[in-house]
Amino acid sequence: MKLPKALLGAILVGITVQTTGCTQEELPGPRTEQGGEKGKEVVKVPDNCTACGMG
Amino acid sequence: MGKEPGILSTIACNLDADILSAAFPLLDEGRVEAIEWSFDTLYWAAEIPSWFTDLLLAYSQQNRLIGHGVFFSLLSGKWTKEQQHWLEQLKQLASQYSFDQITEHFGFFTGQNFHSGAPLHVPYTSATLRIGQDRLSRIYEACQCPVGLENLAFSYSLDEVKQHGEFLDKLVAPVNGFLILDLHNLYCQLHNFAISYEDLITLYPLERVREIHISGGSWEASVLEPEKKIRRDTHDDAVPEEVFQLLALTIPKCPNLRYVVLEQLGNGLKTESSRIRFRQDFLKMEALVQKSRSSLSRDVDNLFLPVQPLQKGPAVEDDMLHSQQLQLSHILETAPSYEDARQLLLASSLAGSAWKVESWEPHMLETAVSIAQKWKQ
Repeated sequence: MKLPKALLGAILVGITVQTTGCTQEELPGPRTEQGGEKGKEVVKVPDNCTACGMG
Repeated sequence: MGKEPGILSTIACNLDADILSAAFPLLDEGRVEAIEWSFDTLYWAAEIPSWFTDLLLAYSQQNRLIGHGVFFSLLSGKWTKEQQHWLEQLKQLASQYSFDQITEHFGFFTGQNFHSGAPLHVPYTSATLRIGQDRLSRIYEACQCPVGLENLAFSYSLDEVKQHGEFLDKLVAPVNGFLILDLHNLYCQLHNFAISYEDLITLYPLERVREIHISGGSWEASVLEPEKKIRRDTHDDAVPEEVFQLLALTIPKCPNLRYVVLEQLGNGLKTESSRIRFRQDFLKMEALVQKSRSSLSRDVDNLFLPVQPLQKGPAVEDDMLHSQQLQLSHILETAPSYEDARQLLLASSLAGSAWKVESWEPHMLETAVSIAQKWKQ
């Protein structure tokens, strides 16, 4: 399926500067929630993300 | 009856720089005919880059976006607030994108945390059947499109392997759903249980297969049986030649097949050589798909939508199953050895039950301990 050139260009820029994988440390704008030790805010990220493989 | 537009060469595509970098030349050449998005892996992200949303929308507008859930834990004995939240998120996404279908995995997750754990088998009982049918109905209500279920790679015994296809058929029947036949999962079972493809494939309801997955995996040594290697579905390597052979054999057997999907983990695509291999795998898959197009003439005779209204009511639960799943998860995640795990299982409420823990293959229990402790880390 052909994709618009503008979209392909945006993807190329995006994967160079923006994208992060599930297991990478710098994630784009992760949600946070209360519940860490002593009520500290903890970053909720899918560690060992099984979306990436089912072991 | 409309003319089937054909089988589509598809990649599993998530917001992952390594996957997207590997796939970009294929996207650029217009070769990727559909994408499969594991939509629930981004529930953690407050913001999805607009270019990724645009990519999803481009395929969505052509009815070539398919959703593949990972974290629903379909066969957990207890209904959880996380599952309810998952459905609400799916409903919202289904209003944003036009999914051609939504799928999930067979099994339940070990681990108390919804996002850490490994999917494991459940016994084929009336209780697990009711729960699975209930959950698939809820998924359909949320997405309003065909719903399917993927076969699991992991099993404890040959009997489980042989009965898997029939039970999947029963699970999806009320929603008139379909199956993802993951051929690497099948390959794991052929190897781990020494059963032939010809014997196993006939035990699957192949008329329900709307999607096929191919991927790579890895070998793990067994301490119990040093001469034996266990095949695991880790999605972190290129597709083995044997899986391509299974693909060539299986496509003609699946009259309702629409998607053939290449899946690989981003962490297996960090080097240029691995990305080149990924693209080679795609081209090999594409060639098999195109060959089948020229030799197969197919009409759509199953839309995989419910043929009668689905039953609504409170979520089905089973306290005994829930308790046994907690016990099993705890044992697998904490047992220091296979022998400890075996003794603990024989002393648990799973002993003498439909779980048939007494007949679990030692090397597969050893593997289950390894998987559960890997995800628990």
